[in-house]
Amino acid sequence: MYRGRIWLYFSNIFHQLLLVFVLLVMVAYLSSASPFFFTWNNFRNIFDHSSLYIILALGITFVIAAGGIDLSVGAVAALSGVCMAVAMHSGLSVGLSILSGICSGAFMGMAGGTVIFLFKINPFIVTLGFMSLSRGLALIVTGGIPIYGFPKSFTWWGSGHIGPFNPPMLLAAFLIVVAAVMLNFTRFGYYTLALGGNEEALRRSGVSIFLYKVLVYTLCGVTAAIGGLIVTARLNTAEPLAGWMLELDTIAAVVLGGTSMKGGRGTIVGTVIACFLLGILRNGLVILSIPSYYQQLLIGIIILAAVIFAEVRARKGLLGFNKK
Amino acid sequence: MKKKKQRVAVFLLLSIAVFAAACSPSPAPAPVEEGKNNLVSADAAQEQKGAKEAGPAYAMNPKAYAMEQALMDQLMPLPDLHKGERIGALIITLANPFWVAMKEGYERAGAEMGVEVVVMAAPTEGDTKSQLETLDAMVAKGYAAIIASPIEPFNLVPGVVRANKRGIKVINLGPPINKEALKDARGWLDGRITVNFEEQGALAAEYIVQKLGPAGGKVAIIQGIPGAGQSEGRTAGAKGVFENTKNVEIVSIQPGNWDRNTAYNLASNILQAHPDLKGIFCANDVMALGVVEALQAANKKNDVVVAGVDFIDEARESIQRGELDGTVAMSPFLLFPRSGATSRW
Repeated sequence: MYRGRIWLYFSNIFHQLLLVFVLLVMVAYLSSASPFFFTWNNFRNIFDHSSLYIILALGITFVIAAGGIDLSVGAVAALSGVCMAVAMHSGLSVGLSILSGICSGAFMGMAGGTVIFLFKINPFIVTLGFMSLSRGLALIVTGGIPIYGFPKSFTWWGSGHIGPFNPPMLLAAFLIVVAAVMLNFTRFGYYTLALGGNEEALRRSGVSIFLYKVLVYTLCGVTAAIGGLIVTARLNTAEPLAGWMLELDTIAAVVLGGTSMKGGRGTIVGTVIACFLLGILRNGLVILSIPSYYQQLLIGIIILAAVIFAEVRARKGLLGFNKK
Repeated sequence: MKKKKQRVAVFLLLSIAVFAAACSPSPAPAPVEEGKNNLVSADAAQEQKGAKEAGPAYAMNPKAYAMEQALMDQLMPLPDLHKGERIGALIITLANPFWVAMKEGYERAGAEMGVEVVVMAAPTEGDTKSQLETLDAMVAKGYAAIIASPIEPFNLVPGVVRANKRGIKVINLGPPINKEALKDARGWLDGRITVNFEEQGALAAEYIVQKLGPAGGKVAIIQGIPGAGQSEGRTAGAKGVFENTKNVEIVSIQPGNWDRNTAYNLASNILQAHPDLKGIFCANDVMALGVVEALQAANKKNDVVVAGVDFIDEARESIQRGELDGTVAMSPFLLFPRSGATSRW
């Protein structure tokens, strides 16, 4: 058992080292290709843009590690942004409005987790339903027209300044630490991984599957809502269509980072590195003025290559890193 | 029956008149150019404020309303109406403020004219299949006429053919339905009023060029979803103008997917690569507003001219605040619901 865990640890580390290596190669190439890439301002942009993906991806890491999936995060982000906007425009204080938005996200996650547990339906379908449901609610509440114009104390969450950083980056950094501690050093994290590894064994050892499953999806709803806060505050607008396709970008990042789609294995550090990798890629493609049609193609190729490599390595023990 | 045909003929004439007006070169730049895409910029904001106070209690942009009135006057006299008929209108999506305004326009026009207008839409801007299915459902319900605005030139073709077979008049409004494809499928349109997307892009680009002055500078274009008709048309129009202007250089053309946050990220990335950027054209207002936020966050708003297309309400307010520089309004678009509803039957 102990030996097995050491191998798992090495295997994870190896994947992350590989990602870091790819990341460094990309940074080196982009730095030599454009004088504007390797500057603090540009990295600030990358951190700023990546923070949204990172926050959403943290929640999804837990869900995927627990053997599930959540397709609703983009729509839930939009819905909670809309909730905050409506609350603010109805005269609620900024703090309470943010809280109401986050509660709406938590509620959607909780409802999703409950349905998945109670009816034993594939989370893919359930969260697909919740995606449509949240998007529909956001559209109904706004009537299809974005709500805009918020107090300064709210927009600060998206475009304020704290020294050289801004609130989204610091929020992301804080949540990374919280998530890493939760996944690696708490009972909740341990049970999350166990849920993905062997749910039946966990159930037989007397752990409430219901509680932990719902908690995992609730957590994901909360991170989606925090993402909604950032998008809404940054753009000073709550859009019913905000976060369109965001779920796919973030799921791609989580899997790229080394979290197993089969569950039982998750890594916060890998997720964060993968988010930066994709963030730098998007930034670099614009900096290099790559024509738009090729960008989609390139991002697709890179994700496929990375995932295929990870899978082949895990199965065949490539480079000597085999679990057995 | 004969009378009916006559009215259709009248309508066709009217729609040609609108279309012709849209194509003819304008003699001189006037504040309101009937039947043309109209550029609305910060310079005109003052005038607009006045119009808002004086104008009728109308939810749409007051300036757009003035354009619409001017165009309606050209179309007079309108044919007689059969009260109480049901007309279907298929628009693109109610998830876009522009089309929400369009729906309101349709319904208001229907109420004014005494006909029932039922407005349907696809769930999202890219859901071509659902839009066709919605059209099929509308055909089955047997409206007197259907006014259709397709997501792309080909997606509604089979539905239009089915409507033809059932004797339902189909009018194509806004984005064009491909006529060759329709002909191949043995279908036809009973009327068409369309918009010149290239001209919209060109107008906005001309405004940016004019703002930059003889010194010119670097400019960028943020497209919508690559491949979508509006996006490609507006991009081509703007590109043409930028390329034909001395000293103006296009440094980047990026897809913003009609998404505000994507446009925000793109703008800050483009600025990073080209700190001396002078102008950004966005294929719609939603993205232009995202760009404005990004420029403000980077303290660059005063250095970069931003123009969009659509003239949504939020854009109007942004122009009044002196943030967004300009946008292209489509006067015929806001009129269409009325002409469509009035000219039938």
